Amino acid sequence: MKAWLLPIIQTVFIVVLLVSYYAATWFGEQYILRAEPLDPFDPFYGEYVMLQYPDLQSPSITDDSSIYFTLKTGEDGYAILDRVETNPFFGAIEGYVYDSRVTAPQLEQFYVEQGQGPQLEEIRDLQVTIDVSSWGIIRPISLEERIE
Amino acid sequence: MDTERKLKQWQQAELIDQGTAERILAFEKHQPAPKKLPLLLMIGLIFFALAVFSFIAANWQSIPDIAKVLLMLSLMWLFYTIAYFSEKKAFGYPLLFRVIGLAMFGATLLTVAQTFHFPLANSVLPWAMFLAALAHYFYWRHLIYSLIGFFFGGSVLMSFLPNIGWVEWGIFIAVTFGWFYFSKNFASTAFSWILLFASGFMLWGLVDYDSVLWPIWTLFALVSLLFIAPENKQQMIRPLYLMTAGILLVVYLAIRGQTFISIIDESHWLEAIALAIVAVGVLLISYFKFRSLMWIAIPGVIGLLLFDETAIGLAVVAELSGLAYLIIAQQQNEKLGLGFVYFIIVQFVIYIIYAWERLDMSLFFLIGAILLFLLSGAAWWINRRKEGVKP
Repeated sequence: MKAWLLPIIQTVFIVVLLVSYYAATWFGEQYILRAEPLDPFDPFYGEYVMLQYPDLQSPSITDDSSIYFTLKTGEDGYAILDRVETNPFFGAIEGYVYDSRVTAPQLEQFYVEQGQGPQLEEIRDLQVTIDVSSWGIIRPISLEERIE
Repeated sequence: MDTERKLKQWQQAELIDQGTAERILAFEKHQPAPKKLPLLLMIGLIFFALAVFSFIAANWQSIPDIAKVLLMLSLMWLFYTIAYFSEKKAFGYPLLFRVIGLAMFGATLLTVAQTFHFPLANSVLPWAMFLAALAHYFYWRHLIYSLIGFFFGGSVLMSFLPNIGWVEWGIFIAVTFGWFYFSKNFASTAFSWILLFASGFMLWGLVDYDSVLWPIWTLFALVSLLFIAPENKQQMIRPLYLMTAGILLVVYLAIRGQTFISIIDESHWLEAIALAIVAVGVLLISYFKFRSLMWIAIPGVIGLLLFDETAIGLAVVAELSGLAYLIIAQQQNEKLGLGFVYFIIVQFVIYIIYAWERLDMSLFFLIGAILLFLLSGAAWWINRRKEGVKP
């Protein structure tokens, strides 16, 4: 039985990881973000689109530092910043500001099907759908062309 | 048959008699024939596996997220199961299957990372692999797991950058220390020691104070490990301390001698003096407790010597320590290999620092070649003396 212990623990770890992301969908809220692409490639992870978000601009904090923020849906249906703090608070997404643009590590890139990266880069006007749990975990759902 | 032919040869050469040859033949005939997989079956299996993988790869994007992860997870279970039965029924290579199982765990994590868009700087994946590899090592005690653990331990350290936190750093040190403490063989002990030393480099990111001496502080801090290590482990890690001290001396000498950037300034005087005082402490401790390690106190003067822009002080210390080590090691009939490598490296670093810009290229190489020739000659002569040949 002891020989099975490690694969069991490893499986439990994967399940916990999965549940933590699915929980964002089960118990969280969905937002759609305006996004603009860049297009790099990682030999281990595959092709992904680097994204930046024109609507997520911090008026108060502009230097390169860690921030904590929440989102709300704006009048046009796209997400904008709600609360922005320099200290952590419950439900906040941990991110950082670069040149007054706000992003979070999990929003930075979106893995796409091989060969789709350059195509998305050409389109430029994109939108990302994400689920955000009330405790700040993000689950990116889809990346598609934005039609306004 | 090969055995029959061989036996006939041995009989003709009168190595064995007729009776022995017959008994060997009878014994061999009763041995079970080795089981071999038919060639066609093997080729078929390879093609089948390729077809399955191509099919999965072609439809990867249309497979639901959860199914992708479960697919990788089931591959992990498949290999652990094969490993279990291969060990129990004594067929194949249980170790190989288990390592593939561990690799499949890594692949599952990669799949999760891709499916859920993990940030690249995330340390979850290297942490999980590091801990899994260590768990495998402590359960099965095989070199390959300590190698995998070492690789992913290094990845964890790299993933800390650039935003490293004290908590994660502390946990890493605690885990690696546990690995060091419970390791029994050289490879595993050395790997964990190197990771502990490398974690000292993270102080550059952790502490606001800008110091160039963190690696030396780390080496001195690691002296504390000698107090908890049993005698045989002390013997095991002794060369690591000496080698690291030697490398530090050479690296600082090369940096100070070759770069014109100011790496140390007035604000570092206090630290340099503190390091020298701690070095005296290390010297005293090693004198009373681990005499053969007294050499590691020498890098303690580096802080003070870095203030000298010509690097002559560092060169003299490196040269004298190399020479003194060789003389004492020879007198005590100890191994000279490492000492010689260090001595030769020191000569070349000094040579490059002080001669590179002052010599014509051809003359530079000519003198270099003569230097190498003389050093090899000296090494050969010392070894010859050691073997007891009178000159």
